[in-house]
Amino acid sequence: MRSSRNAVLGACLALLLVFAACGSGEDGDTDTAGPEETTGCPVDGGDLTVGVSAAFTENKLVAEMYALALENCGYTVERQFEIGAREISDPALFDGEIDIKPEYLASELVFNDPDAEPSGDPGENHMALEPLLAEHGVTALDFSPATDENVFVVTGETAKKFKLVSVSDLGAPAKNMTLGGPPECPKRPFCLIGLKDVYGIEFGDFKALDVGGPQTVEALDKGAIDVALLFSTNPVIPDRGWIVLEDDKGLQSAENLTPLVRDDVLNDAITDTLNAVSAVLTTDYLTALIAKVDQDREDLADVARSFLEDAGVL
Amino acid sequence: MGVLGDGWTFLTSSANWSGEAGIAHRLVEHVQMSLFATFIATAIALPIGLYIGHARRGEVLATSIGNIGRALPSFGVLAIVFPFTLRYEFLRFGDLGFSATLIALVLLGIPPVLTNTFVGINGVDHDLVEAARGMGMREREIVVKVEFPLAVPLIVAGIRSAAVAVVATATLAALVAWGGLGRFIVDGFAVRDQPQIVAGALLVALLAIVTEIAFALLERVLTPPGQPG
Repeated sequence: MRSSRNAVLGACLALLLVFAACGSGEDGDTDTAGPEETTGCPVDGGDLTVGVSAAFTENKLVAEMYALALENCGYTVERQFEIGAREISDPALFDGEIDIKPEYLASELVFNDPDAEPSGDPGENHMALEPLLAEHGVTALDFSPATDENVFVVTGETAKKFKLVSVSDLGAPAKNMTLGGPPECPKRPFCLIGLKDVYGIEFGDFKALDVGGPQTVEALDKGAIDVALLFSTNPVIPDRGWIVLEDDKGLQSAENLTPLVRDDVLNDAITDTLNAVSAVLTTDYLTALIAKVDQDREDLADVARSFLEDAGVL
Repeated sequence: MGVLGDGWTFLTSSANWSGEAGIAHRLVEHVQMSLFATFIATAIALPIGLYIGHARRGEVLATSIGNIGRALPSFGVLAIVFPFTLRYEFLRFGDLGFSATLIALVLLGIPPVLTNTFVGINGVDHDLVEAARGMGMREREIVVKVEFPLAVPLIVAGIRSAAVAVVATATLAALVAWGGLGRFIVDGFAVRDQPQIVAGALLVALLAIVTEIAFALLERVLTPPGQPG
């Protein structure tokens, strides 16, 4: 793993030497030295606006990666990273105020069709989403392996004590345990309802905390709850050596990060560029990058850039 | 009637009143939390206010504490205090979220009681205090028998402000896993259940008004005869 990454890094450095002139892609005049000979990127691709699904670190990081890769490919990119919610970013994309944004498969699917039943298989969600987006002149490119899903998490101690590896293992001990999660948990299939219907698991008690936020983390850390519903890209999970219980019965829907692009700007160069970003992004990498921004206070754009450089995309 | 009507339907359907998550139980929780917090805030602020008012010392400090206290956002206090209530054993009383909410509400309740007590005692006619001294009363007697009874209307008004603010703010308990009427608002918001949110908000508003009226009556009863309202 390490050595292959170094090889990629080496190749990337070589490419960087070739493209050194477009390292600062924001200045319009350097774009003329664009890398058209190797990647099919245009000499002057014109203007693109990259937005976010909603303004939080993870989504902004991925959006910044899209923007950097597109700039590297000769486009002039405007960033609209302060959009607050999907309720705003979806219409913005459909109306052409933004051209591209990173989305989560299942959430975007349900948002556009409340009756849709998203699956644990990203491919199925992608297929179900395509016709819904086509109505608005939008295409979903390849989904990334990186996914930000609901996961049930326990501390290392709890996992050892009850020999927990997967959610099914909670079957016996759950009735003496407390689950902590978002307030909607009791009414949602991904939480208490699904635990009961799909796994046959009922917790002794439930505590309504925040949506995968600091309170839930703190409560699990201090033993006020035994199991927490968190997001898979939360950096505290690897940080504190917590265990993500494997969703062995596929309760959670696949939320793989996917670039959505307006058809009126889409071309092969953009497709190849964004698919290349998606291909190198994994949940583990994304989690580590979020930690750099949120915990180590590193600059988001720098973090996105150095990841793409290491991965050989830039 | 629209949204309000839906909220009313939620309130009047008997199924929503029973059980652990029912309106009756949440109402009791809310009142309990509010009573606790107001009582503790009063127990802390009243003696300090009496002392400062009587000794006429530390007024600046008391006023500052009162003003700063009023500017503290309870939600901020709650967010800061919650992790500490998990970390330290002596703060881990009650169900999850109880102690954190109680602390935030006590801090909310202290300033109005403190300020009103000290202003009330301070406002007692100096000649009366001197006369009491001249009659040979001890300082403690002066506070208990002269200053306090005359300051009661203002002190009760302070407790009333505290209680109403506490009742309205106890809603925040739902943000840190505890119960109370805030559960309807927070849970309703989480699942976009508008009627539930409206019902919760109506109940909190109603409870705050009832609190206000109850204290207004109490003030009237406790005001010594011959005193202007």
